[in-house]
Amino acid sequence: MKFHWFAEASYPDLPADFREAKISSWVDTPKRLADPHVVGEMCRMFIRLMQQADRDGYDGLAVNEHHQTPFAVTPSPNLLAAALAHTTERAAILIIGDSLALYNPPTRVAEEMAWIDCLSQGRVIAGFVFGTPMDSVFAYGIPPVELRERFEEARLLILKSWAEQEPFAFNGRFNKLRYVNLWPKPIQPKFPIWVPGSGSVETWDLTIDNDYCYGHLSFSGLHAAKPMVDAYWEYVARRGGDPNPHRMAFTQILCVANTDAEAEATYSEAVKYFYRNRYVNPAFEGPPGYRSTKSVQAIMGHRKIAESSVSAEDRAKAAAGELDFWEYDRLGYIIAGSPERVRQRVRELCVDLRIGQLIACLHVGNLSEEAGAMNTRLFGHEVMPHLRDLWIEHEDRWTPQGLAEIAAKAARGAAA
Amino acid sequence: MTARALGAGSVLVWDAGKGRPLLFLHGYDTHPGEAGFLTRLAQNRRVIAPEHPGYGESSAAGPLHDIVDQVLHCRLMVEQWVGGPVDVMGHCLGGMIAAEFAALCPHLTRRLVLVDSYGLWLDDMPLPDPFVIRPADLLAAKFADPAAAAKVPAPVMGNHAAATRFLWPIPERGLSRRLPFVQAPTLVLHGAQDGLIPVAYAEALAGGIAGARCSVLSGAGHFPMIEAEDAFVAAVEGFLDAG
Repeated sequence: MKFHWFAEASYPDLPADFREAKISSWVDTPKRLADPHVVGEMCRMFIRLMQQADRDGYDGLAVNEHHQTPFAVTPSPNLLAAALAHTTERAAILIIGDSLALYNPPTRVAEEMAWIDCLSQGRVIAGFVFGTPMDSVFAYGIPPVELRERFEEARLLILKSWAEQEPFAFNGRFNKLRYVNLWPKPIQPKFPIWVPGSGSVETWDLTIDNDYCYGHLSFSGLHAAKPMVDAYWEYVARRGGDPNPHRMAFTQILCVANTDAEAEATYSEAVKYFYRNRYVNPAFEGPPGYRSTKSVQAIMGHRKIAESSVSAEDRAKAAAGELDFWEYDRLGYIIAGSPERVRQRVRELCVDLRIGQLIACLHVGNLSEEAGAMNTRLFGHEVMPHLRDLWIEHEDRWTPQGLAEIAAKAARGAAA
Repeated sequence: MTARALGAGSVLVWDAGKGRPLLFLHGYDTHPGEAGFLTRLAQNRRVIAPEHPGYGESSAAGPLHDIVDQVLHCRLMVEQWVGGPVDVMGHCLGGMIAAEFAALCPHLTRRLVLVDSYGLWLDDMPLPDPFVIRPADLLAAKFADPAAAAKVPAPVMGNHAAATRFLWPIPERGLSRRLPFVQAPTLVLHGAQDGLIPVAYAEALAGGIAGARCSVLSGAGHFPMIEAEDAFVAAVEGFLDAG
């Protein structure tokens, strides 16, 4: 069982009436609401928290890509990954991921991941993402019907540019390169590759065909995720794919404190801030052609099952930041409480959904750095060690193979 | 509407009437079906109204990557189904394709009619985004009288996805550079109250084509052939039959 530290780098200073004003938190959010000094301090805080996570024994530090949104001010995950590669020693640098269709040419992704792999001594996990519609088709203007083809062409180009030892020509539909010859080349002979998705069948096929780790990255809670994740595993079985739990990553917001009461007092407002301020103009979430008809139908089916376990009223309240803290917990949006309680709930979650890679969200919304540091420490020291036995019988081929050696070397260095 | 093979695919087409052929290319929402303006025009000519690739029951647009491929697709229809020059009329997205067709296939274009057409972009007058505009605003932008909406068939799933190939994120693919290559006599028709594409765009289109005339139809929004059917049919027939 592996644990990766993650947070959406949410802008912490949105006005109290942001939600009531029905301003979309993505694509066209007014820039006048952004204070660059607040963004700078926020970035420094996340770097400090992830450096702590590296010392606290987390297996990976996860960074992601979003555009034009206060929900996650991380336009280039590679920038944050580079900062971490230089200032951490043990954890994998989990880039989850670069939006392949948005890099022109996509060899930029291959170069930067290779460079970060060199800088981090071989700790990179390469994540390839399609990007949300808000990011890819609105902020970056890619016609939705071209997104998958652009992604696929970029993926093949990147893989070839890592593997080939001689310069080669690449004549794609979107990329025409006469001389592809990557400098630097990565340390790892073969990157572990993760691809997150939101239920599209085409993405499931991609991960099964290529033995990638699939990531279900959502904040809609266990009940919304369960039908989708169950369907994924059924699909893997039907296609004869590898049912190894380590090829499944899942995000979960965690709120650990010394007592349940302290958890509520510490995290309640930040959780509500996080959900309350993630309102997106529906037109930005469902552009025509972003998903195939087949996937739309499948996703609607999963949603229907999920809706039978959480009422429409609860869902609306959850999305508006209006649920009671423990209701968020009960419905699986968060897992909160004392380390004992969190241990048990995380174990149940991971067993229930067959998850081998937990992307642990240990900072949320406008949480203070102090609280984020406590959360990171308690989860790292009081929860993770008690769950290491999970899935121990399955080999993890989806994290960098040299990590144990790198950690041992770092420990020897610290002792000397 | 009948399905007709074309190349490796299949196209749904409304083909009716006898006489000098008119190719009609529909807008971004959907094929209008057996609409009043088409049946009236078909009384004095042959009207060929194909559905665009990727729309409704027609073959997927996959192999057609760009606007040149789309024009070649139209050329194939004209060559195989007519075998000589045709009058060409396009509405909205279809107008954009019709103008490109006229520029690239002058030998197959007799006369050209562009109706509330996409294809240009004026920096000082940005168009609303048809894929994001709120439903109430879209209704107001499309129709002078919202009741007219009932006369236009609703798009089926997949239609707008196909339209994004040419309209996303800016509905412009270089037409302004090619307008000077249009040789056919051209009429630009536009609904006075079109809120999706302001009248200034019609004037710019006509301004880019030597000898083109621009005519604005009152009491109509984006669908003058629906909201001002009589005036529309009269204008089109008058123009097509003048030469």
